[in-house]
Amino acid sequence: MSVWKYEKSRVMTIRLLGISVVFALIGCVILGRLFYLQVLQGEKYLLLAEKNRISVRMTMPMRGLIYDRNGVKLAENAKTFQAVLIKEQSPDYKKTLNNFLKLISVEEDELARIEKELRWKRAFMPVRIKDNLTFDQMTLLQLNAPDLPGIQIEEGMMRFYPAGEGNTHVVGYVSLLTEKDVDGDTSDPRLDLPGYRIGRTGIESSQQSLLQGEPGRRQSEINAVGRTVRILDETPPRAGQDITLTIDSRLQNEALSLLKGYAASIVVMNVQTGEILALVSAPSFDANLFTVPISVKNWNKLLHDKHRPLQNKVLSGLYSPGSLFKLIVALAGMESGIIGPQTHIRCTGKVTIGDHVFHCWKHAGHGTLTLEEALMHSCDVYFYEIAQKIGPEKIIETAAKLGFGSPIRIGLLGESSGLLPTDEWKQRRFGDAWRLGDTLNLSIGQGFLNATPLQMLTAVARIAGGKNIQPTLLKQNVQDNPQQIDFKQSYLKILRQGMIDVVNKPGGTAYAVRFQKDGWRMGGKTATTQVRRISMKEREEGLKSQDELPEEYRDHAIFVAFMPTDKPKYAAIVMVEHGGGGSRTAAPIMSRLMRTIIDLEENTALPTGGGK
Amino acid sequence: MSFFKDRNCYLKDYNLTLTDKIFGFNYVYLLLITLVVLMGVAILYSVGGGNFNPWASKQLFRFTVSLTFLFAIAMTNLRLWMKYAYAIYGVGLLLLICVSLFGHVGMGAQRWLNLGFFNLQPSEIMKIALILALARYFHGASLTEVRTIRFMIPPVLMMAVPVALILEQPDLGTALMLVFASFGIFFLVGVQIWKFVVLICGGILSMPILWSFLHDYQKKRVLTFLNPESDPLGSGYHIAQSKITLGSGGVWGKGFLEGTQSRLNFIPEKQTDFILTVLAEEFGLIGSVVLMVLYTAIIVYGFIIAHRCHNFFGKILAVGLTINFALYVFINTLMVMGLMPVVGVPLPLMSYGGTAMLTLCIGFGLIECVHINREMVIGRRGSIDDE
Repeated sequence: MSVWKYEKSRVMTIRLLGISVVFALIGCVILGRLFYLQVLQGEKYLLLAEKNRISVRMTMPMRGLIYDRNGVKLAENAKTFQAVLIKEQSPDYKKTLNNFLKLISVEEDELARIEKELRWKRAFMPVRIKDNLTFDQMTLLQLNAPDLPGIQIEEGMMRFYPAGEGNTHVVGYVSLLTEKDVDGDTSDPRLDLPGYRIGRTGIESSQQSLLQGEPGRRQSEINAVGRTVRILDETPPRAGQDITLTIDSRLQNEALSLLKGYAASIVVMNVQTGEILALVSAPSFDANLFTVPISVKNWNKLLHDKHRPLQNKVLSGLYSPGSLFKLIVALAGMESGIIGPQTHIRCTGKVTIGDHVFHCWKHAGHGTLTLEEALMHSCDVYFYEIAQKIGPEKIIETAAKLGFGSPIRIGLLGESSGLLPTDEWKQRRFGDAWRLGDTLNLSIGQGFLNATPLQMLTAVARIAGGKNIQPTLLKQNVQDNPQQIDFKQSYLKILRQGMIDVVNKPGGTAYAVRFQKDGWRMGGKTATTQVRRISMKEREEGLKSQDELPEEYRDHAIFVAFMPTDKPKYAAIVMVEHGGGGSRTAAPIMSRLMRTIIDLEENTALPTGGGK
Repeated sequence: MSFFKDRNCYLKDYNLTLTDKIFGFNYVYLLLITLVVLMGVAILYSVGGGNFNPWASKQLFRFTVSLTFLFAIAMTNLRLWMKYAYAIYGVGLLLLICVSLFGHVGMGAQRWLNLGFFNLQPSEIMKIALILALARYFHGASLTEVRTIRFMIPPVLMMAVPVALILEQPDLGTALMLVFASFGIFFLVGVQIWKFVVLICGGILSMPILWSFLHDYQKKRVLTFLNPESDPLGSGYHIAQSKITLGSGGVWGKGFLEGTQSRLNFIPEKQTDFILTVLAEEFGLIGSVVLMVLYTAIIVYGFIIAHRCHNFFGKILAVGLTINFALYVFINTLMVMGLMPVVGVPLPLMSYGGTAMLTLCIGFGLIECVHINREMVIGRRGSIDDE
């Protein structure tokens, strides 16, 4: 072998070794990387692979139904039909959409959403085109099916309130769950349920936890484009509980129609059991507007209505109870032994305290009155006089026992406590001591004192039935046999007699609306509460009649009543904002309401109290 | 085998009979190759959803066809390849030019010549042709010649022209392989190490210029490689999913046909470039290490065959082809493991694909040919007579 060959051969052997070393190094890198990925990071990547593979989807639980006392459905789940477009099933989905829009129109902002979803959603994912198809629309779609490849009709669930607007403020409504509802906790599984609705007001909101049930879980294996390959595990959804209320939907709607044109409220209660038979706030609205996202136009209409339809006036409307409070003052007087049924007091039309004159509503004065007569005529001076002797503490204590100053808690949220003013409260609020004038204002239910219609009715119902009832809307919370209230029954009887006289004795403030129907009579108490202070000048010029005042300056009108007179069963309140006067506006409505209750009781055997 | 001890083999009219050749064939080498192919077929079966269709059976068929090529080439006379080395290179170059003129565009690149019945990929032919040509060029070169710059100009051009044509297609992976394989040969035949250092430094300095020649999609690939988060749903998604698939196999793997990532299509190109991830997912570290051991054995065998070969042409040819094979393995695995940009190089013998399989088997046939003819004497110009 020649020298150059020998040299070359030697170099090549060394160089081959060099290449081998380089390769061995690369091999080490590869093995090291494999070890790192598969052993050191194996667990992490296994988790990531599982996350890729498994998709957990929620399935919709059936929301509990709401019934009235007679088993009438107040809230139910209705099947709805929606049109969806599945891109991959259409050769040209844009053309399909155009054909669809020629048949059924879609709102502008909805169209923007649809076009956006069609762009980014996977081809096999349905895009919602139109909700709540009517029967006609579905027929139209079926007839034109050949022009609409990719359009499918899907079934959905919708909350539906079939029983009329009278029930809206009790039942409430639901609307779509948003991220705000879960405090931005995006892990809340309910967010993954398209069309999941939660209660916003009324029973729908207060009983949300019972009604909602529990979503089911479906674990499925998905592939890289998100299509389900197979279902791994499935927990079915648990339906929500049904709820039966104490209200009578017929009475609700009847009550609402009685309040037509007013900002007003009505509550009807069984004084023996505390069941609330009707709870109406007028004006009302159709709860079904909210189940589909409410349109801006409708929302603004409701929001800017001066009669505030969105407010439940029974629970959150605060008013001075006015003359109604005289019942409480009288009871406090008797309880403290200051007055008895035969205590006579002379009304001259006014009382002067220091340099301040307190007038009776009847300027000429009532003359000498007994307690019953004072209630019947609603004499202010009588109560000015006795309140000075009783003192505010006893009056407040009595009022609190009857339900003033704290929420009644009937099973709805958003109830106001009202205000039962005390010396301590006034000090704190105004830095001023309680004065005698405050006591006089309190004695006729004016001044700082305010209460909700529900509180006023509860107080009267406790007086009428003599029982310490707990008013409620929920059938399951009705007490079988409530305890007697902690007042002498004979005193309560005197108050009732006073109320009976208001309606049934000539000269009573509500004598005009008396009735005798199938052996039923009612007793009641009118109240007219000033919305604005009457100035001395006006008083001198002669008071204008309520009709001459603009509506917002007219007095509030309240009438509270119970029936039958011998063994009271029902109590009710009619409260009309700016109604002008208790006897003029509220009492006639009450009379008609009570006769409706009798009709329902007599003709269709409205289930008697006791619940079970 | 005793035949090779015979001094006759040094005779100038050294010639082997077919029987000699069949006995001289290295069957262990072939066994290693077959094992890797069978592993690949198993994975393709799994990727096909536990079905021989659409990939496993076709791959097996292609291997059988390629195997006949391997055998046929192994039986040829090594001198023949020496003789026609430049001719083959010339044809390869011509085909590359044809591709750039009227090639078939597929997947954003112009790589194929449609011959009616077969899509020819000239860049694959060039992988072998260039190594043959370089082996021929350096066969008779003395060390002193190799160490002159002037002598190195033709081989550098031999490499540069096809690399430029392939880059223009554009096919970064193949171009890289040609460059590395040529450099391997230059190194092997004794080019001074300082020249490589200078070249590497020059390369790094000219990076910005090269960058401007890259296609947008190539730039994007490099950028995504450097910062995968920049494109989490595009190429970055593929790298991330590739690592998840590899890693989730753990030590023992999820079991044959149990790989979720591949079965549910989270892996792109799972039957071709990313097939290693499927193996790693289903057979774990054990599976991937076994494959690496087999590859190592094939590479080591190639080097041993080269080392034992008495003629320089065979030596250079065997080393060149083995380097070429090793480059497939390195580039693919590093790319799949996220250590290199995705450049589209298949995993040799495993990935589904006919052209690569055929090219590889032709290469192995040549290495076998070198092995069988290792004692052959080849003159400086390819003649029998030498000095």
